[in-house]
Amino acid sequence: MACSLGGCNGLKRKFENIEVALPFFLFSALVIIPLLLALDRLIYVSGKMPWQVFSSLDEHYLSQDAIGFTFLQALLSTALTLAIGIPIAWQLGRYHWPRIRLMRALLTLPFVTPAIVAAMGFMAILGSDGFDLRGERSTYLVSLLFAHAWFNIALVIRFVDPVISNLDPRMEEQLRLLPAGNSRWGRLRCFWIPLMFPSILCAAVLTFVFSFTSFAMVRWMTPSNATLETVMADVGGAAGIENYQIYSNELVLASSTIQFLVLILALWLLSALQAKRSRTIAEVSESHSRKKGRTGWLVLIPALLFCLSPLMAVIRSSLRVAERGPVISHRWTLEGWQSAISGDYAYISIIDALQNSLGYAILTLVISLPLGWSLSSGIHLLEKRGSYWAKPLDILTMLPLAISGVMLGLGILLGIIRISTVFFTMWWMPAIPHIMLSTPFVVRLLLPAMRRQDPELIENAQVLAMNRWQILTKIRMPLLRGPLIVAGIIAIAMSMGEFGASWILVRTGAWDTLPVLVDQLMTRPGFDPLVKPTAMAAASLLMLTTLILFLVAERFRPDGDGGMF
Amino acid sequence: MLRVEGAGKSFERILFEGLDLNLATGERMSITGPSGCGKTTLLRCIAGLEDLQDGKIYLDDIEVTNIPPEKRGIGLLFQKPVLYHHLDVAGNLRLGKRDADVHSALKEVGLDGFADRRCEKLSGGEAQRVALARALLAEPKILLLDEPFSAVDEELRSRLLNDTIALLGSRGTTAVLVTHNIKEAESFSKNIMTM
Repeated sequence: MACSLGGCNGLKRKFENIEVALPFFLFSALVIIPLLLALDRLIYVSGKMPWQVFSSLDEHYLSQDAIGFTFLQALLSTALTLAIGIPIAWQLGRYHWPRIRLMRALLTLPFVTPAIVAAMGFMAILGSDGFDLRGERSTYLVSLLFAHAWFNIALVIRFVDPVISNLDPRMEEQLRLLPAGNSRWGRLRCFWIPLMFPSILCAAVLTFVFSFTSFAMVRWMTPSNATLETVMADVGGAAGIENYQIYSNELVLASSTIQFLVLILALWLLSALQAKRSRTIAEVSESHSRKKGRTGWLVLIPALLFCLSPLMAVIRSSLRVAERGPVISHRWTLEGWQSAISGDYAYISIIDALQNSLGYAILTLVISLPLGWSLSSGIHLLEKRGSYWAKPLDILTMLPLAISGVMLGLGILLGIIRISTVFFTMWWMPAIPHIMLSTPFVVRLLLPAMRRQDPELIENAQVLAMNRWQILTKIRMPLLRGPLIVAGIIAIAMSMGEFGASWILVRTGAWDTLPVLVDQLMTRPGFDPLVKPTAMAAASLLMLTTLILFLVAERFRPDGDGGMF
Repeated sequence: MLRVEGAGKSFERILFEGLDLNLATGERMSITGPSGCGKTTLLRCIAGLEDLQDGKIYLDDIEVTNIPPEKRGIGLLFQKPVLYHHLDVAGNLRLGKRDADVHSALKEVGLDGFADRRCEKLSGGEAQRVALARALLAEPKILLLDEPFSAVDEELRSRLLNDTIALLGSRGTTAVLVTHNIKEAESFSKNIMTM
């Protein structure tokens, strides 16, 4: 033997420690360093500490009432999402439905739909060629709440449905035979509510987080109200420059600090709830005994219509052009698509924008998938060792979920680009926030799959004298093929739909991604009837690409895998 | 007390048909038979968890064939104990009776001092004892036992069965035990039905 047993084990452990530490170091460098540099820059330029600038938000006309409105819309959106999502999750989980995989995929599709597409869909439904409600400002908030609910009901389904659908049926049967469970209310109080509550709360916290940091939807649905996110986006471009628009530094510093504190609190709450959720999940088993649903169609058909109508509306709007007359009328045409392809109304065509989006998406995939794999493996290894570090590092990987796209974009802009103008010319800069945003999703998909994997399969390979590389390529990766493909596709879809950070970081028209192009077209000044269908054609292309990716991902999703996303 | 007339049930094949059963108040009965002969299904039909295809079930001379399980007043111990992990042992017992004297109920099944324990920390035998205590607290008209101790080792199984028999005897509880072990059936009751 080349080394004693203890020596080999010691060496192996050191190697493993490096293997764990390296991806975490890289991930921390990607996420934390730009934010710290950005914070330092803002403090330096404004000459104030974060807590000294909170009052500036209410003093400036751009950000007045932003704090109140951000909380209000996020709380109301969360309540509405739960009100719509829980009955859907209940029906999907409890009853037998034909083509349930497809139905679940369609009902969770909004979550992976780019926010800008969703915003365009709701604008189309509520616009002059739809219900014509955009003239009424009183409808703005309600439409934003429905748009957020539309976007987030997938979270309720993903968290709550598996708890119900994988439930051991004896749990309910036993309760029915006990006095405490001899009424529906009794069973609800003693069993269903405690069982589902942690999952519902997890969904609620994440819905709150996503509504709190929503950018594209707020920008388009409630243009007369500012949130902390839109304030940062609006003034962020001028921040970080010495002696220039000093107020912008204060507004960004105040908004980002408040947002960061609220989101960290939400993340901590989510982590505690996840632990509670995994305890209640212990009550579920593999047995499936679904009843046949009868009246549930009354919930599911409107739910499917609700989920699909904004998407249909985007395609429809891309084929309709307004004509001015005594009254505005619309006609069917392909002119919107033609001008989108020729690039008449923008710096580049939708084909070029699609190429840009795909380029950033592939770059994101190439980095976030191996990084996510290494992070998941590291956490899993620490968990197996019973290490105290497993939990904090698990939370660290979720950190970018608590940082919005705009914050990440500003972090890169203020923390890196402002330091050296050389970075202005680097086309790959916008991919950095995409990697940061998609890696937590990769980890959330791979880590549960690694935890489920039978350790004996790896141990057996070790006994067969396979080396680490052979175990990785011949055992672990093939066994985790499904979750790996899903994670890869989700990373691509996340990158393609990312709007907030790209909106801040895409510095020249030649780098425009599809979401940026849509926004650019819709904000074009003056009235030209072809602009809207052109923007909608770009949104349709983005939506269809995401839809195809999502449907492919669903084919590889393991059965009963609610996962997190 | 319990009367089953002409009961029939098939699931891909006939499990039982034309089955009659009679049980007086306070009486105990064992049902034996090979695996897959429909013993558990019969218990589930009596409890109301499954529907009979033919026949009728009477409890205290009242037909309960189409009455939902929660209205029948029947208790059931599953093969694998069903405890609710979001509640501790005391919480699980209170599902049987809201104002239950938890400590004496646990003492009766030999688990004194277990009230605050988390259910996932219990062994298989302990969990089944908690389930038994809970079922008895509900004071069911009949207690159905579906091979409740099959998951524990033989020595413990016979001890648990003896304790259960003593407990049911002292309370005068009407009970039906399903088992494929003929010895268990004989020690549980004189009245044995083979399927």
